[in-house]
This record gives sequence, C-alpha cells and structure tokens, in this order.
Amino acid sequence: MSNPLLSVRDLHTTFDTDDGTVRAVDGVSFDVDAGETVCLVGESGSGKTVACESITKLIPTPPGEIAAGEVRFDGEDLTSLPDKQLTEYRGGRIGHVFQNPQGALDPVYTVGDQLVEAIRLHRDVPKSAARERAHSLLDRVGIGDVEDRIDDYPHQFSGGMKQRVVVAMALACDPDLLIADEPTTALDVTIQAQVLRLLDELQDERGMAMLFVTHDLGVVAEIADRVVVMYAGKVMETGDVYQVFENPSHPYTKALLECLPGRGRALETIGGTLPDPTDPPDGCRFHPRCPHAVPACEDGDQPAFEDVGGSHQASCVLYGADYDEPELAEANDD
Amino acid sequence: MTDDPLLAVRDLKKHYPVRSGLLRRVTGQVKAVDGISFEVREGETVGLVGESGCGKSTTATSVLRLEEPTAGDVYFEGDDITAYDDDEQKRFRRRAQMVFQDPNSAFDPRMTVGESVAEPLAIHGLRDDDRQAEIVSDILERVGLSADDADRYPHEFSGGQKQRIALARALILNPDLLVADEPVSALDVSVQAEILSLLDDLQSELGLSMLLISHDLGVVREVCDRVGVMYLGEMVEVAPTEELFANPQHPYTEALLASIPEPDPRSRGEAVELTGDVPDPSNPPSGCSFHTRCPRVVPPEDFEFPDGSFRQVLDFRLAAENGDVDTDALAGDTALREEFGLPSSLPDPDAESVLAAAISDAASGDVEAAADRLADAFPTVCERTDPELVDTEAGHPAACHLHDAASEHAPPELTNPQD
Amino acid sequence: MPSTEQQSPLFTRIDWRDQSASLLDVRPRTAGLVLALAAVAVTFVYNHQVATTALVGTWDLRRMDWLLFVACILLVRYGVVPLVANWERSSGTVREFLRRPAGLLSLAWILGFAVLGLVGPELIGMPRVDFYADYQPPVFTTSHVTNIANVECVGPVTDAGCHGTWQYPLGTTSTGENVVNIVMYGAHIALKLSITAAMIMVVVATAVGTTAGYFGGWVDDVLMRYVDFQQTIPAIVVYIIVATMYLGKGLFTLALVFGLLNWGGIARLVRSETLERRESGYVRAARSAGASDLHVLRRHIIPNSAATVITAATRQIPLLILAQVLLAYLNLSDVRLRSLGEILNRALPPLGVGWWVVASITVFLVGTVLAFNVFGDTARDVLDPKEVA
Ligand code: SF4
Ligand code: SF4
Repeated sequence: MSNPLLSVRDLHTTFDTDDGTVRAVDGVSFDVDAGETVCLVGESGSGKTVACESITKLIPTPPGEIAAGEVRFDGEDLTSLPDKQLTEYRGGRIGHVFQNPQGALDPVYTVGDQLVEAIRLHRDVPKSAARERAHSLLDRVGIGDVEDRIDDYPHQFSGGMKQRVVVAMALACDPDLLIADEPTTALDVTIQAQVLRLLDELQDERGMAMLFVTHDLGVVAEIADRVVVMYAGKVMETGDVYQVFENPSHPYTKALLECLPGRGRALETIGGTLPDPTDPPDGCRFHPRCPHAVPACEDGDQPAFEDVGGSHQASCVLYGADYDEPELAEANDD
Repeated sequence: MTDDPLLAVRDLKKHYPVRSGLLRRVTGQVKAVDGISFEVREGETVGLVGESGCGKSTTATSVLRLEEPTAGDVYFEGDDITAYDDDEQKRFRRRAQMVFQDPNSAFDPRMTVGESVAEPLAIHGLRDDDRQAEIVSDILERVGLSADDADRYPHEFSGGQKQRIALARALILNPDLLVADEPVSALDVSVQAEILSLLDDLQSELGLSMLLISHDLGVVREVCDRVGVMYLGEMVEVAPTEELFANPQHPYTEALLASIPEPDPRSRGEAVELTGDVPDPSNPPSGCSFHTRCPRVVPPEDFEFPDGSFRQVLDFRLAAENGDVDTDALAGDTALREEFGLPSSLPDPDAESVLAAAISDAASGDVEAAADRLADAFPTVCERTDPELVDTEAGHPAACHLHDAASEHAPPELTNPQD
Repeated sequence: MPSTEQQSPLFTRIDWRDQSASLLDVRPRTAGLVLALAAVAVTFVYNHQVATTALVGTWDLRRMDWLLFVACILLVRYGVVPLVANWERSSGTVREFLRRPAGLLSLAWILGFAVLGLVGPELIGMPRVDFYADYQPPVFTTSHVTNIANVECVGPVTDAGCHGTWQYPLGTTSTGENVVNIVMYGAHIALKLSITAAMIMVVVATAVGTTAGYFGGWVDDVLMRYVDFQQTIPAIVVYIIVATMYLGKGLFTLALVFGLLNWGGIARLVRSETLERRESGYVRAARSAGASDLHVLRRHIIPNSAATVITAATRQIPLLILAQVLLAYLNLSDVRLRSLGEILNRALPPLGVGWWVVASITVFLVGTVLAFNVFGDTARDVLDPKEVA
C-alpha cells in the first residue's frame, strides 16, 4: 500500500482576530497510514488541535480559514469538498473524540438515543437495528450492564464512562480513521490508563488508523507508532516513536523531554515564551528560545526537513549540509 | 519558637451534607475528608496526591480554615487554629497563604496586576500607595517579571506569567506557609517546569514551608520532601518522596505510580490497570475503601486463590450486587466467566464449587443469590475492617491489611515487589 | 527569564504592628457621599419643620425632588466619580464606546435628552396655553387646519394653507401649546423618572443579588423565592392601587412603585454572576489573604457586576418612560403634569387634529427608547472585561 490513508500537505489554517491574522497552522504536512497511530504532540499554541480540526473542516469559519494546502483522505481532497459531502466523512469514515466528554454529549438525550442518531445519520438502517448496534458498541467500550444503562442520560455517567460513550459514538460507523483530540486529558490517571488501553485494543481489532493529539509525552510513548512534534504552527520533528524518544533530534523536542517533571533529575526549563501568533519570527520558529541557535536560524523560512536516520526528520539547520551537528552532539552528551 | 511542626493536622474531617427534597433535609453526608493526619515541618514541602474527589483540595481549604472543618484539629506552631480569635485569625491569614489552580481566573480583570498583588497588603492595613508600589515592584522582580508589569492588566499575560503573579500575591505578606492547590496543572509542560523551579528556589531561599496539592505524581516528585497519598478522603500512605516512588507500600500508591504513562515507548503497556471508577464519596465502600478496585485485595484465609484471581471473583460479586450483570446478554456459564475474566476453573476445589454454584445462579437469572453466595463464602478482611495507617516494614506508614502485624496475608512481594 | 537570578534572600519586611487599620481611614469619596446625603437629610428636615412652603424664594421642593436628589448623589458617587477618578482606565472604555457609531449616536441622543430635560423647562418654561396660536403647523409645512373656525394662522397663509413659522418650530397643539416646550417638558419628566426609578432598581437589585449569590443557603432561597413572587405582580396594577388609595398619582409614586417592583430580573442576573465570581480565583485568594466578606463584596463582586447592572438598567428605562406615557394617556397620572401621554391623548383622534403633535412625540419616544437600548448593548460589549486572555 503506497498511498497513505490520510495525507496532509502544506496545510495553512488562519484565524482572523482583532489583533491580526493568526497563522495557527502554517505549512504542516504529515501522513497517517491505515492502521497506524500518529501522535501530534505540542504545547498549547502549537496548532495541533487546529491542524486536526482542519482535516474535516471542524474549525469555525469565519474567523477560521483553510488558506492553503491539501488534505487527502483515501485519495480524495477534503479541502475542496462541499460541506454536504464533508459531513458524510465526519462521523462516517472519520470519527472524532474530543477532550471534554461533557461537551460532546447532549444532556437532554439518553446515550442510547444519541448513538442511534449517530448511526442513522450515516447508515440507512431501521431504528431497531441501530439500537442493537448501539448496544453492542456500548458493551464493547466497557459500559457494564448495557441493558440498564443505554437509556441513561449523560450526567448519570462518570467522566471516564462518558468518554467511553463518546468513543462508542465515534466508532458508530466503523471509521477508517479516528481523530482523538486530548481524549484523556480531562481524566484521572487510573482512568486514563483504562481509556488508553481501550483505544489501543479497539484500534487493533478494527485495523483503524488513529490521529491522536496530545500534549502529554507519556501518553505519546504509550500509544504512538509515529510522532509529529509541533511548535508555533510548524512541524519540528517527525519520526517513529522509538526514534523520537530515544534519539530526539530537534532542539525543541529535546527541551520538551528535558522539562518533564518527576524523572528524578534536575528540571530543565526552556525559557522565553511562545512567539506572537500574529507575527511569528522569521527563520526557525524556535530560534528565540533555542539554546543552539546560530545566525542562520534567524532568516528565511522554517529550515527544511533533514534526515536524521530512516524516516526520522528534523526541521533544524544544524542537521543541514553546512553543519556537523557539533553543538547538538555536545548537548546529547550531557 | 517551639519544636512543634509548623502545621500539624490531627484527624481532620470535612463532611458536606447532601440535601434533597423540597425542605432541603439532610439526606446524607459526603465525607470529602474523613479523618486525616499529617504535619508540615519548617522549611519542608509536603505533597498531597490523589485522583479527583479524593479530598485533597478540601484538605487544603480546611487546613487554612477557609472552610470550617467538621472535626479534628489543626495546629499552627502548636496553636489550635480553630480556637483563634479575630486578631489571631488575621495574623494567621498573613502567615499562611494559598495559590490556586487556574491562573486565568485568579485575577480580578478590572484591576491592574499591581493592584491585585498589593491587595493583601491593603487588607492587612498597609494603605500607603508608594510603599505598596515599592513592595510590589520588588516582588514582581523576584518572581521573574519586571516592575513595569504592575501597571498592566491580567489578560495581557500568559498563563505561566499569571501564575508567577499569583505567587507574588501569595508571597507578598511574607508567609511562613504556602498552600499550593494544583499550581501547575493548568500550564504547559515547559511552563510547568519554570514555575516548579521558581517555587523550589523561592522556597529554599525564604525557608517557606509548603503544602502542595496535586494529582500529578511527577510534579510532586519534583518539589516535595514528603508525600501523602489520599483515596476517598483518607490518607492511605505517607512517605518521603523518593521512598514512596521506590518502594510504595499501599496497593493504591502502587497502581497510581504504575498508571503514569512513562515517556519511554519501551515501557509501554506496563500499567497496572485499576478496574472500575472511584466510588461515590457519599457512599464509600465499607472496610478499606479501596477494596472495590484493589488488585491485591486479601482473599479469605480458608481458600486458595492463585495470583489476582480473587480480584475477578470479587469484581463479579460486586457487579452482581450492583445489578450490573446482564444475564440476558450473557447466557451460559462460560460467557459469564469470560465477561468477568474468571478462570475456567479455580485450582482450589472448594473455592471452585462455590464459584461454580454462584455462576449457575447468575446464569439462571438469580443474580442476587449469586452475590449472597459469594459474600457468605468468601469474606475478606478488606471489606470488613478499615485498615489503620500503621508503620510498615519499609519504615513509613500505610493503611492496608497487607501490613497488619498479626496478619498472615502479607505476601512477601509487597516489600519486595515482583514484576 | 531564569528564576535563579535572585538577589536578596528575603522580601521587604513589613512591621505589621504599625499597620493596624484605622476606622478613620476613609476615602474622600466615601466622606463626600456621607456629607452629601447628610446635607439632603438636613435640608429635608429644615424644609418640613421650619420653612414648610418654599425652600428658597419660590422654589418649592416636592417629594419627587427629594428622591431625585438622593438618586443623583448616588449616581455621582457610583457613576461619575469612579469614571473620573480612574480616568486613565475609564478613558479607554469611553474611547472604545465612542468608536462604535451606534454607541456614539445613542450617547449623543441620551445626552441631548438629558440636557434638554434638565435645562429646557428652566430656560423656555412650561408649555402655555395660548388660544391665539392653536393648531399651528411646524415650520416648513402647511396645513389647512386653520380653516377651522377661530383658528388664526401665525405665519403666512397661501393656497396651500397655513405655513408654519420659526416661532413654533414643531407647531402647536389644539390649545396652542408649543410642541417644543411639550417635548422638553416630557423629557424633563422622563429624565427625573428614569434616574430615580433606575437608581432604586440598581441599588435594590445589587444588594439583593449579591447577598443572595454570595451568602447562598437559606438567604438565597428566601430572597429568590421573593423575587419569583414579585415578578408575578404587575407593577401597573400596583401603581393604580397605590396611587389612588395612598400616595396619590404622580411621578413619585410611579418611580417608587416601578423602582421597587422591577428589580427582580436584574437581581437574578447579579446573583448568577456573583455565584460564579464567588468561586473565582481572585475571590478565593482575597479570602485566603484574610479579606472580610465586605471587602470581597466591595472590591470584587459588586464592581464586576457593574456591566450587567448597567446594561439591565438601561433596558428598564425605556419601559419606564413608556409606562409613564401610557399611564398619563389613560389619565392615571398627575393632572398637573403636562405629560406626553396626556398630550397624545388629546392629539390623537377623535379629538386630535394636528398630525405633527403625534409625530413629534412619537419620534422623541421612539428615539429615546432606541437610544437607551443601543446604549445598553454597546455598554455591555465594551464593559465586558476580558476575563481570559
Ligand atoms: S534551526 Fe536553529 S533555532 Fe531552530 S532548532 Fe535548529 S538550531 Fe535551534
Ligand atoms: S486493605 Fe485490602 S483492599 Fe485495602 S489496599 Fe490493602 S489489600 Fe487492598
């Protein structure tokens, strides 16, 4: 299979605000193969959420706009599709799970009704069949005693259980791709572990691809096959999960891993603040905060991707032909 | 100054009445905090960790008497703070300060940062504007901002900067005790790191004592000297930080530690998965409140259960008691066993015959009988009695029957964890 | 900024024994408020005990005026003083407000309305009956009404009829009152009524809303049940009963009854905001720093409800003005008041003839109602502080 299931190319998403145009996603490319889990990781303001919402145009337009780029899903360019056709993808072949399960469920309908509706929106099946399917989905995501609970309202479920219901809804039409935006961030760790396990199992079972957005590197390490590290609207580094964690190459990725608390060593900090999203710096977006910055980092565009081994790439001049990575090699020795 | 710890909490309880009906009659109690004790010594940082609903934030506010505790004592330098008169209370307010979780709602949007930071000064009677400005600019610089920032408004700052300002406000009265309730959980990791190291610096320079409330064990590990782990309003384990991480004595602590996803893809899938949700604090389980989820729950003495299989049996029983066994969908014994992860047969024939009987009860639709049968045959000490917080062999206290001195159920693996 | 570059290990030390808060430590604006209120009280007593007729010369104060005085003092203390004292801060808000065309227009109209209402009647006096100048059309228009017997045209008469003149720019009524004077006098009454009734509403609503929201529990229950109850009482009916049986018809009764019965909705809004703010970080921080409830209410809760209260109050004002006109139209107001309603009553068919009387009054009323509504909307947009970045 040579064509990836999802291929995002040079995506630009902008937002008009009172303070100017925010280039939330500014030339981002990545692929998701069938059956694969790709993690978009970054801090707030990195554009990771906007990037994944741009795929099915869930961003509010206006003020948002997909200014340029291409999103190919199974060969079809989603950015050029009319809204009507897009809605068939949303919740159909592409499922969504959001951070806050509270907001994803309508408080005035029972979870069963919401699931039935989600199914019938895309499948022309009678109510009874849809309900049967809802039943088996809820059972699959680990809602005990579905018979009793299917007619409960969302508020009767705990946070973790609600997120399971949301997962069930996302799976309603057997999606090929599940987009999960910080699905476990609002949950307690022990519940997070349960939901992550569930997602992992579901993905294996169904062979679906998953695009997982998170700020938590621990979660990334837990589930990702490949990792896309974003900063200030740009991709900094991409690679296989082992490559990225064991040989982080981009100075931003390194810094991010260094400042994780509680690993029993001195805490490093990045220093400085995120650039102004309406007026990002020239050159490498990270250069005002980068400890390894050289003059070449300050002009032009974001540095091109350089191979740092296999499919592992970093957008940093130090890996370019002009440099021998001396600084970075040194940094790696610390 | 005496040898008393700066803050000593003894058997603190905070119960909230649950009211219902037209007349708002009290129909129950949420035991948010149910008898916890700990102390914070001078210059020490103590962490309280636990999941949401474990009562850690309520502990923080009750300790500062921002909420009136239901029972128990809180001593500040040996004096009972619940007995303070108004003057002493005001003095205590100067000496114990609090920082809250959400930096975005921490400031009155109408006030400049300078005014907000100076507010505690005014509350305590220092109203001289020049003096205030001087102190504010000093402190803003100390938390890594500039004196000019005093004239700007909160919305002009990022989350991390706001949390610095919140720290400035909390420290402006020169307190001896700082209570920080999830001070970094609303921030990005890189910003978290900055705030944590600022906290660390300030704390060591000022000799502050700190009580840090967090759900994040990583954060706790970073700054705390000692940690208390809370579950459903109770303290289940207290230990020096490194010891807690290296040698947890309570099964809950163990599970909590194991649930933290490690930023290392090679260690994936090693989480000890806790089954089920945190129980409702208005109706906590009897005995050890963790017994509904505990992977090490103590099996009855008269039977043999291979590793962990008693957990599944108990899960099945609890599900049966709650009416969560769907006998229509799960027709037949094997389907039931599969659903609850029960082995096809238990090695102990006595235990197996009880289980088999219970399962056929359930399969024939009489779920209640199944539950009763299991409850009668397989009593567990964890359900019967509430374990005390007692010293363990590891040297620090934990509240778990596995450590009961008289108990023969302490398996060797807890003090010597198997993998 | 690395946090390690700290210089001295200790912050500024403060000797708290020197800083005991003194009760005499009051701000000038508080003192001013107390003085002004005291002055009103003293004059009131003087007026009722000693000089029972006119206070100075022919200036005879009536109960409505006393109420108005108090309302104005409160308006100055809680509206004008903060605006001016924090000019640095408020100027931004004001500029933001004026940048919006709708805001600018509505403010201009309201200011015009206020100035006219304040000085108009003093400068050009009350509308006077003048049977030599009845039925005069407005300037630039003509009318045939002068064909009615006994009506003389003040301006030139042509084939098109009687031409209006600058003497009566908006024409006159069937009894020869100048419509300009009528509108001004109408504005005067409306202004008095809106200031007093709005002030009553604002004060009561803020007090009740914050108390209920902040203290919660049974206090909240009792107050909000009362609001539920009160909202079922139609103010107009109460006015009719109270006016005919006790206090007499007139502005005073109107302001009092409408002011005291229409604050429920505002109080509800204030309560829900208070509930939210009570849990906010800054309130909790202030409380943990030892602030009293009074401090929290005064410094944080009440000022932050200002936007809501102002918006809600400006929405009530047009209703009040219309209610007053309606009551006068139905002859349920004080007969001595040459109110717009009463004039309308006379100007509308079957009695009325001149269209211009109705037109002027309608334009004035519609403009004012619109202006207040637009003002309220704009104020809400502008005042809503950015709680999140
Ligand atoms: S390109 Fe330059 S600034 Fe950017 S990460 Fe590499 S070294 Fe740092
Ligand atoms: S007492 Fe029993 S249930 Fe509680 S933690 Fe210990 S082993 Fe688990």
